[in-house]
Amino acid sequence: MNMIEVDNLTKRFGQFTAVDDVTFQVEKGEIFGLLGPNGAGKTTTIRCLLTLIPVTSGGAKVAEIDVLKKPQQVREVSGYVPQDVSVDGDLTGYENLAFYARLFHVPASARKERIREVIRFMELADKANQLARTYSGGMMRRLEIGQVLINRPRVLFLDEPSIGLDPVAKRMVWDYVKQLRDEFDATILLTTHDMNEADHLCDRIAIMNGGKIAVIGPPAKLKTELGGDIITITSDNSSCRQVLEQLGYKLLPHSEDSACDLVVDDGERKIPEIIDKLKNQGVSTVSVSLKVGTLDDVFLKYAGQRIGEGDMNWATTRATRRTARRHG
Amino acid sequence: MTVIRFFTDILTITDFELRKIWHDSSQIFIRAVQPVLWLLVFGQVFSKLRVIPTGNYSYIQFLTPGVLAQSVIFVAIFYGFNLVMDRDMGLLHKLLSTPIPRYSIVLGKTLSAGVRSIFQALIVFILAVIIRVHLILTPLSIIGVLIIITLTGMCFSGLSIFLASFFKTRERMMGIGQAIIMPLFFASSAIYPIDIMPTWLKVIAHINPLSYIVEAMRSMLVTADYHRLWLDFGVTALATAVLVSLASTAFSRIIR
Repeated sequence: MNMIEVDNLTKRFGQFTAVDDVTFQVEKGEIFGLLGPNGAGKTTTIRCLLTLIPVTSGGAKVAEIDVLKKPQQVREVSGYVPQDVSVDGDLTGYENLAFYARLFHVPASARKERIREVIRFMELADKANQLARTYSGGMMRRLEIGQVLINRPRVLFLDEPSIGLDPVAKRMVWDYVKQLRDEFDATILLTTHDMNEADHLCDRIAIMNGGKIAVIGPPAKLKTELGGDIITITSDNSSCRQVLEQLGYKLLPHSEDSACDLVVDDGERKIPEIIDKLKNQGVSTVSVSLKVGTLDDVFLKYAGQRIGEGDMNWATTRATRRTARRHG
Repeated sequence: MTVIRFFTDILTITDFELRKIWHDSSQIFIRAVQPVLWLLVFGQVFSKLRVIPTGNYSYIQFLTPGVLAQSVIFVAIFYGFNLVMDRDMGLLHKLLSTPIPRYSIVLGKTLSAGVRSIFQALIVFILAVIIRVHLILTPLSIIGVLIIITLTGMCFSGLSIFLASFFKTRERMMGIGQAIIMPLFFASSAIYPIDIMPTWLKVIAHINPLSYIVEAMRSMLVTADYHRLWLDFGVTALATAVLVSLASTAFSRIIR
């Protein structure tokens, strides 16, 4: 069953086309990533789906509800965590959760239990009664996600879920996102410009650039389509190349007799196998190196540029703003 | 059911807005500084000078309702600014992604401005009593004044939210807040009677809702002359209804 269906969605701001004829589907229980640089149209796509801004043309369904016809109902089954700070620093963590329990019309009898459940799941118990502005970045993000979990959303929209977090907090958020799908049975649409994040979290990704989707598929498949990983083997035995060819490996044309570049899928697992086989043929190896195909390469191929190019200013600005907000 | 939900939605917004004040009440006192100065310095000095004709009442009696209204407006006019702050973070987008209707958000915010205004005005009120400004303090006059104050808070926070829906940036909203307050204040009957104004200012003062707000409070607290109280209440309520409705309609523009 498709929990998100986007059909030829287009959104223009004046002359500028932010989302350009985009079509994709997200299946129930999937973690789907919109990957792209800033200004690619990821956030605008999400905001159209959440009925926050009117679409210019095309249509979409969330949980089989028409976004254009029944915006209110779409909001009832959705949860949205924007990329910027979305908890109220002037309220306590508990109040931030209680506020959303009431906004989502959770029945009064179930509210306390739901809030308790979220506090436990997001590990917020320590500071639940302190003002949210005293929270660390990671904790604030957990509270932000916790707020929408109160509603037990069927579809969860996470805009840059781990942006601005340190590596440990980032890992933690990733774990939560995966658990969310498993424990809350949610379908998740997230945006990111972090290749690593997309690779780690998403079942499928869509690479977006200039408002268009360039390619859709599982990260592993997209990487394989690049042509796979490259293993470079050097040996002091000059028959190395010949032996590898006899074993049926695909070699790059510039390979030499004792230094060969092999193209393989899933390079990490292939290395021991190749070394063993060479040894059995009486060829010992001197060095082995692996160049793994990355999503960055995939992005380069489809979008024609490296992701994150020229992004530093923006990232720095954001970091400063977050800090100012926390300590200001 | 829908009627109940309509009210619970509004009260949810109001409730949590007011909790913020509960956590940090320093704002109330900071915002009270300016009205307090008006009453203590301006009011007392001009009472002695007797340059402004205020009939049978002392100038400070005349001024107190004006300063009460001013203290409320100082708070209410910055509600739009706060909303722009919420928008610049992700708070507003998240709030708008919940099922709660847009008009409930606006009504809840303006109502909280109204309730907050009561606390704000209370400071001025208490000060006026301490410096022995002679005011009519009957249960009925106090209730009447509280209603006017709540409406005033709603009215001008509505105006502010309406403007924020179009201007959208902190700098502009800050500027607009500053630019509106003083003309509103001076072109009303808050600090001097309309009779002594030049004609062009009289015209403006007559269409300025603040004049009616101040006159309503003045008749209840000072003069006990109720012959135009219904008019004053009516205009105040109408202005509030119009501005809050305009704000509710325009509000969702703010995130576009």
